[in-house]
Amino acid sequence: MGFLDIDNTTKSYGSVEVLHNVDISVEEGEFLVLVGPSGCGKSTLLNMIAGLEEITSGEIRIKDSVMNGVHPSKRNIAMVFQSYALYPNMTVGQNITFGLEMHGTPKADREIAMRDVAKLLQIEPLLDRKPGQLSGGQRQRVAMGRALVRNPDVFLFDEPLSNLDAKLRVDMRTEIKKLHQKLGTTIVYVTHDQIEAMTLSTRIAVMNGGYVQQLGTPQEIYDSPANIFVATFMGSPAMNVLPAKVRVEDGLPHAEIILHDGSATLLPFSQENLAAWEGKEILLGIRPETITDSDGADRKSKNIAQMINRIVVTEPAGSDTFVSMQLSGKDVIARMRSDAEVRPGQDFNFAVNMEKAVAFDPQTEARIQP
Amino acid sequence: MSVASQDTAIRTGRITRTLIYVVLILFALFYMLPLYVMVVNSVKPLSEITGGGMMNLPREFTLDPWFKAWSSAQIGVEPTGLAPYFWNSIKMVVPAVAISTVLGALNGYVLTKWRFKYDTILFGLMLFACFIPFQIVLIPMARMLGLMGLAGTTWGLALVHVVYGIGFTTLYFRNYYAVFPTELIRAAQIDGAGFFQIFWRILLPSSGPIAVVSIIWQFTNIWNDFLFGASFAGADSQPMTVALNNLVQASHGVKEYNVHFAGAILAAMPTLLVYIVAGRYFVRGLMAGSVKG
Ligand SMILES: Nc1ncnc2c1ncn2[C@@H]1O[C@H](COP(=O)(O)OP(=O)(O)O)[C@@H](O)[C@H]1O
Ligand SMILES: [Mg+2]
Repeated sequence: MGFLDIDNTTKSYGSVEVLHNVDISVEEGEFLVLVGPSGCGKSTLLNMIAGLEEITSGEIRIKDSVMNGVHPSKRNIAMVFQSYALYPNMTVGQNITFGLEMHGTPKADREIAMRDVAKLLQIEPLLDRKPGQLSGGQRQRVAMGRALVRNPDVFLFDEPLSNLDAKLRVDMRTEIKKLHQKLGTTIVYVTHDQIEAMTLSTRIAVMNGGYVQQLGTPQEIYDSPANIFVATFMGSPAMNVLPAKVRVEDGLPHAEIILHDGSATLLPFSQENLAAWEGKEILLGIRPETITDSDGADRKSKNIAQMINRIVVTEPAGSDTFVSMQLSGKDVIARMRSDAEVRPGQDFNFAVNMEKAVAFDPQTEARIQP
Repeated sequence: MSVASQDTAIRTGRITRTLIYVVLILFALFYMLPLYVMVVNSVKPLSEITGGGMMNLPREFTLDPWFKAWSSAQIGVEPTGLAPYFWNSIKMVVPAVAISTVLGALNGYVLTKWRFKYDTILFGLMLFACFIPFQIVLIPMARMLGLMGLAGTTWGLALVHVVYGIGFTTLYFRNYYAVFPTELIRAAQIDGAGFFQIFWRILLPSSGPIAVVSIIWQFTNIWNDFLFGASFAGADSQPMTVALNNLVQASHGVKEYNVHFAGAILAAMPTLLVYIVAGRYFVRGLMAGSVKG
């Protein structure tokens, strides 16, 4: 039993099922991020937790009491919306205390709670302004203040940063993370931005097409993606996925891939059970940062393979340089240190950290588990 | 662009602009003409009018026609002037406008934020009400008012106007609320506000522009209505429009045109006032609904 249990829950609109058997259990104090492309059902799931959408089947429990059919205001949750949803006719102070007022909190207590929250979020000078007179970042804070003041069991965030410009988004991201660390509240946070998901969460649920594709810590999701969708959705630039044939040499499985000139090369797997796939096609997943120059290779890795391949394009990006090449007929990106000496057209000696490589079944697109 | 050509551009701009203003002013004068005729003739003694020269300014200024129209002209059997009928109209218009606007707002709220099955069909049917000609409902309406015991009363007349107005007011508010962010309603639900609290505390305070549109529209239509007033009102509940007609049509004695003009202006005054006070919000409200949507 977790703090928040989403138990075999589905959602249908008419005959269309948009969420399929979602099973997630959230512990107290966790920061769960629901991430996935637009239309995958994240908001719907969040709204079901909030009580704004009915649950078609299954159960949602908060602190072990069943929430199905319970009114949103009786679930002791608070929500921050993408548009902030601040009441335009009320001042910031009234916005923050409206929920308390509706719940019958005496005026004096409301005032104290409002001052506390305003202090925490540093919005004290704004209390008498109307939302229309605030900047995006200030509105964002007020929206969080409105959620915080209720002291809820669970905070729900629906893409709260997507209306901010890039710089402010990064600042607010840090701020939300700090707030979580300080208050230790339970948070369910929806975003389509995988970087937000990785940086904020204690656990991530990657969703696609109404299914939870994988549920795990950011590290698990990144290093051991359950399938090709998760592997390519999480991480930027995306993981390289290329066809390879499994060959066994000296009793160890290798991936046979094709270099730019049509010749084949073998990269040894660390995952021994892939020997069972001898002679078969698999899809090889390699993250850009695991393809480097020899000096940049991970020193702790016990399995660095070398290959010489031609560089097609180099893209210096300040801290890193992205290098693209052709492997097995696919464009493959490598992420190098910015001081690596690379230029287009060069035949370069790449080091591939095969300890981090993953293999997928081309039929099911699921990872071949070690 | 060279300096010379820029200069000519500005000059031609100025010429066209002047032309446009001249044309506009001519049009405005043309449209103001009836008002001018009414005003000047309402402050002349009758002899000046019957002596010809309707367009002339009064040689002798008098407010007597106004006082007569208001308080002592013969309307129906009694020489009461228009005053009692003016109050009849007020007693009909104020509740009818208020009730139809509030109901329209509530309908708009439900139709956009508390969606239910077949709600669009229901809305379609309500829209249909905007297109039903008055004449068709005269007889069934008379029967209904009779059954409800409201025949010949001001309240009965107000009810008829409320029923007829709801189609329009619902249309206005529905379209306005359709673009009102639903996330605000959801936030208020989470905050614990109920159906009516959301309506009063969140929705209505943001409804100023469309409420003005609804009020102006309803006020003008109801105040100016003649057919329902003539059909359903009793002798002591007749609205201003019907009384004005009786004043003008009175067959006995000389026709007192100056009194008629004054009476007509009195009858038109409230709608004029509403436009002057709230007109600029009217345009703003109409725009708000359309631009955002
Ligand atoms: N009221 C609704 N009626 C029918 N389908 C809906 C409704 N709301 C959402 N959907 C569908 O449910 C799916 C999930 O939507 P949503 O949860 O908003 O996605 P996300 O937040 O991940 O972008 C989408 O395919 C959307 O079209
Ligand atoms: Mg969404």
